[in-house]
Amino acid sequence: MTQEVTHWLDNLLKEIEGIEVRRKSSRRVRVDVPADALPALLELLQGRAGYIHLSAISCVDWIDDDEFELVYHVWSYENHSLVSAHIRIAREPGVYLSVYDLYQPAGFFERDIHEMYGIQFEGSPNMEKFILTEWDGPPPMRKEFDSEAYINEHLSWQEYNPEWLQELVAEGGGVIIPPEEQRFSQKKK
Amino acid sequence: MPALSKASFLEHSHSSADPKLKNKRNDMRPENYEAQRQPPSNEYELNFGPNHPGIEGNYALKVKLHGDIVLEAKADGGYLHRGFEKLMEQRLWIQNIALVPRICVPDPSPMELCYSMAVEELCGLKVPQRAQWLRVMQLELSRIAAHLFTFGGHAATTGMYSTMYWGVADRDLLLDLFEEFTGGRVYSIYNIPGGVRRELPDGFLQRLTETLDYIESRLPDYDNLFFKNQVFVKRAKGTGVMSREQALEWGVTGPNLRATGLAFDVRRDDPYLVYDQLEFDIPVEESGDAWARTLVRRKELMESIRILRQVVEILPDIHGPIRAPIPNPLAWNVPAGETYTRVESSKGELCYYVVSNGGPKPYRVHVRGPSSMHAVQVLEKMSVGSRIEDIAQTMFSLDACPPEVDR
Repeated sequence: MTQEVTHWLDNLLKEIEGIEVRRKSSRRVRVDVPADALPALLELLQGRAGYIHLSAISCVDWIDDDEFELVYHVWSYENHSLVSAHIRIAREPGVYLSVYDLYQPAGFFERDIHEMYGIQFEGSPNMEKFILTEWDGPPPMRKEFDSEAYINEHLSWQEYNPEWLQELVAEGGGVIIPPEEQRFSQKKK
Repeated sequence: MPALSKASFLEHSHSSADPKLKNKRNDMRPENYEAQRQPPSNEYELNFGPNHPGIEGNYALKVKLHGDIVLEAKADGGYLHRGFEKLMEQRLWIQNIALVPRICVPDPSPMELCYSMAVEELCGLKVPQRAQWLRVMQLELSRIAAHLFTFGGHAATTGMYSTMYWGVADRDLLLDLFEEFTGGRVYSIYNIPGGVRRELPDGFLQRLTETLDYIESRLPDYDNLFFKNQVFVKRAKGTGVMSREQALEWGVTGPNLRATGLAFDVRRDDPYLVYDQLEFDIPVEESGDAWARTLVRRKELMESIRILRQVVEILPDIHGPIRAPIPNPLAWNVPAGETYTRVESSKGELCYYVVSNGGPKPYRVHVRGPSSMHAVQVLEKMSVGSRIEDIAQTMFSLDACPPEVDR
């Protein structure tokens, strides 16, 4: 990004109230905004600054602060820079707005976050389960979900020591390929 | 824990599920199954996958059809979900290096690199020059291997199995190279934060050149067998068309975007490693159909060979260490912070969002695989209106990688 574009973008972003802009490198900008200002920010970035590609929406569970952090990464094909917009929302009830109207890729990411963190996105076209179709436990990516404890509570351990494994262990274990049979050394030099 | 027999294990694991699900399972047993009566209609539903030769990996499409025209398609994932993002929060920074390549099986190297780059950025590690060139070599080899695999898969959807056998056999030569310089054929686990694990074996660059010459000499054969084959051309032209506006709106990246005429490549437009010192073109096509997408990959293969030839020329003149010193990896607290790293994989824009809270394990790792766009929403939209025999071709021409979606 040239210096001119940088200035222009900084001035443009100042239009949003309560915004904090940090330039991490020439192609990476971090922006922190209050949650209710995000749709306006994205509209501005997409409509007036050419940030038309939503690369991803990431979710981070800050359980000690009782908050979820949502990060919207948008890329501009024109000035070749990536803006990451960070917002925080309360963990309970964990509801936010969908940005599907602005960016269609949001549909997938919001569905994924809903499934993994239990956040409800109002206005998102599809909140059905996608990956964890048969899962009826709590959203597993939340920090309070302990996978090991869940397994110990719901499943039992099984002894597994078949005969072939016992024989292998008795012989010293493992499969050893002599050097002359290794594939790359077979090649003609 | 007491040992359980298989029967009691199954009994136990089922008993914890809710009773509704248990009843559902019983309903599905053959002796209890009764075909549902539906009002007469010309529409029917078909489960395309999860185990089907026309589906890439373990993935499913539920399609609603009228005759052989698709009315509606629903992507159904999760068959390859292994909970990588959760697992990574429970492993040390260094242990995750063994996990990440498994996220995308046909093209694992960009995964290692993207994660390593994120850790390096958080720690402020500077990667030595030689390691950067070695990484480029690994990435481009992986790209060629992935493209050969994709050609094979795509050809098979149009009934040309010979291309598939050729593609898999030629990819094997590249896997031999991987085995030689990284120790692993598929998952190389070659990158670590700070650099790469091993120096090249003696005479490796010579063998790399020979393999590249061989692959290049094979390309005219591939052209005659597949790319110029009228069976392929007639089937692929006009199938799964996506305009540039649609591609941008749907968030498509990589060869699929370039097939609509937009020359965007992370390697050039958001450069990493030493790609800004290398000469290569970004091939584009205009028509945005299955034919254009495959042709873009075919041209990219040549560009990767061109990049590798430059690496072979320059690498002997670059001396020095292959990795930066890192702290004891078993007691490594990465400074608190967050970073978003991007790499151009063979399928498109691959990104990692990594957050550290200053501890010995990542606080959060989010993997944004390129296929999460074109294997789900885009595939659903593009399938509508197409004929049933073109679904497989659309999916393979998009180069969807289900493990990347499921993570």
